[in-house]
Amino acid sequence: MLISLQWLREFVPFTGTVQELAERLTMQGLEVEAIIDPFASIAKIVVGHVAERTPHPESDHLSVCTVDVGGPEALQIVCGAPNVAAGQNVPVALIGTSMPGGMEIKKAKLRGVVSTGMICSERELGLSEEHDGIMVLPASLRPGQLLTEALGLEREVLEVGITPNRADCLSVLGIARETALGFGLPLTMPALNLKEDPAAGNAAQAVRLEIADGELCPVYRARVLTGARIGKSPDWMRYRLLAIGQRPISNIVDVTNYILMELGQPLHSFDRALLKGDVIRVAPASDGQTITTLDGQERKLLGSDLLIWDAERPVALAGVMGGANSSITDASTEVLLECAIFRPGTIRKTARRLALPSESSYRFERGVDQVGSVFALERAAQLMAEVSGAKVMAGVATAEPKPWAPREHIFRLERCNALLGISLTAEFCRSTLTGLGCSVDDSDAACWRVGSPPHRLDLEREVDLFEECGRVHGLDRIPAVLPKISKSLDSVQMSDTEFGFIQALKAWGVGSGLREAVNYSFVGTEDLDRLNLPVEGRIKIANPLSEDQNVLRTEIAPGLLNNVRHNLAQGNASLRLFEVAKAFVEDAASDTGARENSRLGVLVHGARHSQEWPWEQSEADYLDVKGLVENLLAHLRLGAGSYVLEPEHPYLAPCVRVEVATKAGPKLVGRIGRVEPKIADAYHARKEVWLADLDVDLLRALSRATKPSFKSLPKFPPVRRDVTVICPATLHAEAVEAAIRELKPKNLESLALVAVYAPEAASEDKAASDGKAAERNLTFRLTYRHAERTLVDKEVDKEHGKVLAGLPQKLPVRI
Amino acid sequence: MLAELRSLQNTALQELAGVESPEALETWRQSFLGKKGQLTTLLRGLGALPAEQRPEAGRMANETKQALEAAYAEREEALRGQMAERDLTASALDVRLPGRPPALGHLHISTQTLREIYAIFGSMGFDILTSSEVEDDVTNFQMLNIPPDHPARDMWSTFYLTRPGLLLRTHTSPGQIHAMHKYHPEPFRVILPGKCYRYEQVTTRSEEQFHQVEGMAVGRNITMADLKGVLAHFAHRMFGSERAVRFRPSYFPFTEPSAEVDISCMLCGGEGHVAGEPCRVCKKTGWVEILGCGMVDPNVFRAVGYDPEAYTGFAFGLGVERVAMLKYGIGDLRMFFENDVRFLEQFS
Repeated sequence: MLISLQWLREFVPFTGTVQELAERLTMQGLEVEAIIDPFASIAKIVVGHVAERTPHPESDHLSVCTVDVGGPEALQIVCGAPNVAAGQNVPVALIGTSMPGGMEIKKAKLRGVVSTGMICSERELGLSEEHDGIMVLPASLRPGQLLTEALGLEREVLEVGITPNRADCLSVLGIARETALGFGLPLTMPALNLKEDPAAGNAAQAVRLEIADGELCPVYRARVLTGARIGKSPDWMRYRLLAIGQRPISNIVDVTNYILMELGQPLHSFDRALLKGDVIRVAPASDGQTITTLDGQERKLLGSDLLIWDAERPVALAGVMGGANSSITDASTEVLLECAIFRPGTIRKTARRLALPSESSYRFERGVDQVGSVFALERAAQLMAEVSGAKVMAGVATAEPKPWAPREHIFRLERCNALLGISLTAEFCRSTLTGLGCSVDDSDAACWRVGSPPHRLDLEREVDLFEECGRVHGLDRIPAVLPKISKSLDSVQMSDTEFGFIQALKAWGVGSGLREAVNYSFVGTEDLDRLNLPVEGRIKIANPLSEDQNVLRTEIAPGLLNNVRHNLAQGNASLRLFEVAKAFVEDAASDTGARENSRLGVLVHGARHSQEWPWEQSEADYLDVKGLVENLLAHLRLGAGSYVLEPEHPYLAPCVRVEVATKAGPKLVGRIGRVEPKIADAYHARKEVWLADLDVDLLRALSRATKPSFKSLPKFPPVRRDVTVICPATLHAEAVEAAIRELKPKNLESLALVAVYAPEAASEDKAASDGKAAERNLTFRLTYRHAERTLVDKEVDKEHGKVLAGLPQKLPVRI
Repeated sequence: MLAELRSLQNTALQELAGVESPEALETWRQSFLGKKGQLTTLLRGLGALPAEQRPEAGRMANETKQALEAAYAEREEALRGQMAERDLTASALDVRLPGRPPALGHLHISTQTLREIYAIFGSMGFDILTSSEVEDDVTNFQMLNIPPDHPARDMWSTFYLTRPGLLLRTHTSPGQIHAMHKYHPEPFRVILPGKCYRYEQVTTRSEEQFHQVEGMAVGRNITMADLKGVLAHFAHRMFGSERAVRFRPSYFPFTEPSAEVDISCMLCGGEGHVAGEPCRVCKKTGWVEILGCGMVDPNVFRAVGYDPEAYTGFAFGLGVERVAMLKYGIGDLRMFFENDVRFLEQFS
């Protein structure tokens, strides 16, 4: 909401600075977001006096003017306007002035004649659309004066952010009330001086009003004006509208806008000559009906929309926009001025559905002062008569099926102070409430009865009155104390909540050298399709901002893959990322229809180390991502997990199932795999993209079921023996490990793979040409230890011998 | 024998003085102190001495052995020092080479900021709760005193799901409802962090997704002064004790009275301008908004079943990315979800 300080001062004698006013309003809850100079772009334009005008020697439409701009020497300015004449006062842009359009005035030669400035039209100054000639200013002005001063243009406009509850402040009057309250100043309403002309007729007889439902339209009033001459509004009105960003249109329309901005009452003027019959009806539309609004658009309506009808047809979309069939045109002379109140929810629904927000609908949907609307109508009619020469018919056509019902609330001072944490006095609260326009009956000192004024529709309850007292006292003056809040000691055990678990996961991720990513929860259908993910179960957004964000992610992968694309484009080739976020899948059993499953995604791509030196250059591969997963499972006390190839997966190949052993059998906690190269290509990945996707909720449940427990440290030394087996390259190390364990060597404490050596022959070509399968060497280290004594070589040799002898019998291996 | 011992000791010590390398030192050790060394050989002869000479010779032999061993240790120590020094001076160790770096992980800046927030409210006894990101209209709006077709709905541009009545939560405030259901009728104080979504064009200053932290305290006799105490403490710990904090009346449907909290601008220090230019952070006002808050509206209490005559409470909500932007001087909100690793690794 833009508020002109000049305009405001007509209502309240505020003499302070605009900054003081802004500060005070802000601290009263009307946040001043900016202080604007609406005419900053013409601030340097000066008044010039055309002393002399001669025709341009080389042109039949240019004139050469000698213009006095208050300086020691007059300027020579070439002007192309037909109306320029000696003796005129005109606006002049001097050399170096930037015009509203951005053009800078320079010294120029026009057909050989030097021009040192520009005489401006109204359009060039942004004051109107007038461009037939230059703007001619009143003769009383002094050359050299700034145009803004000479015309009395507003230089100080407040941009106030009005919260949805303060509909009363969507006007100069509303801000003036708050200013009066804040500075203890009187509020003065504009004097009403409406001259009715009974000879022109009587409005109540000229127009019959019918309201179908008083809930939808509690009051409708109309005045009738006759003999109006449509034209430009007077300068003062146009400049005032311009100052607050309103485009002046014509005198009748401008008055309705002026009153809306001044008093907050939306009005509509019909060309009465275009209305059929002498009846105005307020009634709902029927489904499918259409109306062409005055912007020329045909609007399709529903039964929930409210219309204004004449005897035959709809003529306006109530509270939102007038109809094209009855709007004021340059030819209009007869005016029917509507001043009504409509039900806020109805107006809001229509304006939103049709995407037709207007200054009127904005106010109606927030609530308009029904009592105050009478004054607005009278003042509007008076101004219309003044600016258009119209005669105002006697009387007001009125239908008020639902008159304003005063509202009364209790007010308990003790509770007010208990809520605010201060000790306001009864006197302060009484004067504050009275100052707000409330009636106060304090005959019961403990429980007052307070009537709220019709312009404060937001004062609906006792607590609203508390807020007013606190606001006027100043929230800043409430002391800040640390609370003595009692609360249950059954605090949430952080580590035991999903939240705490996720925090621990993130700490693990950072400790593992991963960078945490946070992606959008929504992705595009295309992102999911690209990964061949099922269409069933997707949760779609009804009003996405774009098609690439129209569905909630059903898996963690798409976001991380997008990060690959972004980072590679930026030249960040080595990626080690993790993200903990929710995946969303439809679930009829959930309250919200959505199952929100927290997932941990880990992605590695490109060089294993972020810098080459002193590492050997190498690319991240399966073992990197698997190592991370093993490490995490161990961290969560879930063992190392087992890893099983999955033959088919929508976007991973190879894909490995990660399983954790439980009493109830193995549980699938997630998958590891390489993003299929074709799919990875779509993300411009040049290297293999390895991904792990783990179910956080399941990991948490499994981890909670285990508890760390102390094991004594061994007291006796271990004996280590290595065994190297030569085996087919296709034999998994895990199988050899299992076979060793099956041989049950006594006192075996642990078993670890310590080396994998694939002789050159492991290259499949050579193996094939040799006619034998590729082989590799696996070295395992077996650690033997006895808990209660030192083992002697002999007994270890015996157990280890069992392994050496047993392995070739169990597996196709040589030792 | 005694003379032999003395002469051996002298020879050995003389030779030792000329030893300049670990290898030579080892040779010396073997030559004199080793199993087949000269001293050992000499000592083997002890048994052949007459009985009356043996104690004297034995003592002497021991002294010689100790003397040589001590000299050996001393020389070894000196040599080690010399060697180390030589290594360095000969640049055998390039001490300025970049070290071998362990992989460094980084928490996302939003997570880091969230953790700071948790710590501050945690120290004031706030528990942490989370709730779902898909919400229904009733919990996200209606129970928070925002009926359908209420103009206050303009404050939250909403992403709706195709299933009627469902939406992506526009704020963490529905968490208030979940918290009250959980604790009713006990008093409590919690914070509720999480992702929120708004149907807003993405610009440097607005995002369609962001993190919020909701806070709520419910009990008997909670006042607005308590709210101010908690939030002023938060603002000072988060942004520095030198920041001025102000409470400005505002409006939220679920609190009454409502306020917004501003802190003095960190760029211009509340002056409104920097070196004569209007401050770009606070837009000349000298203040930047950090959060919204208020006393729990009686209608919200009623919606959940707390008696507003018996209970009062406060609630607040703050935007995490906004806090991070102010604190670290990040000018573009969009960077938070691009996950450019050069951005991610800046904050640790």
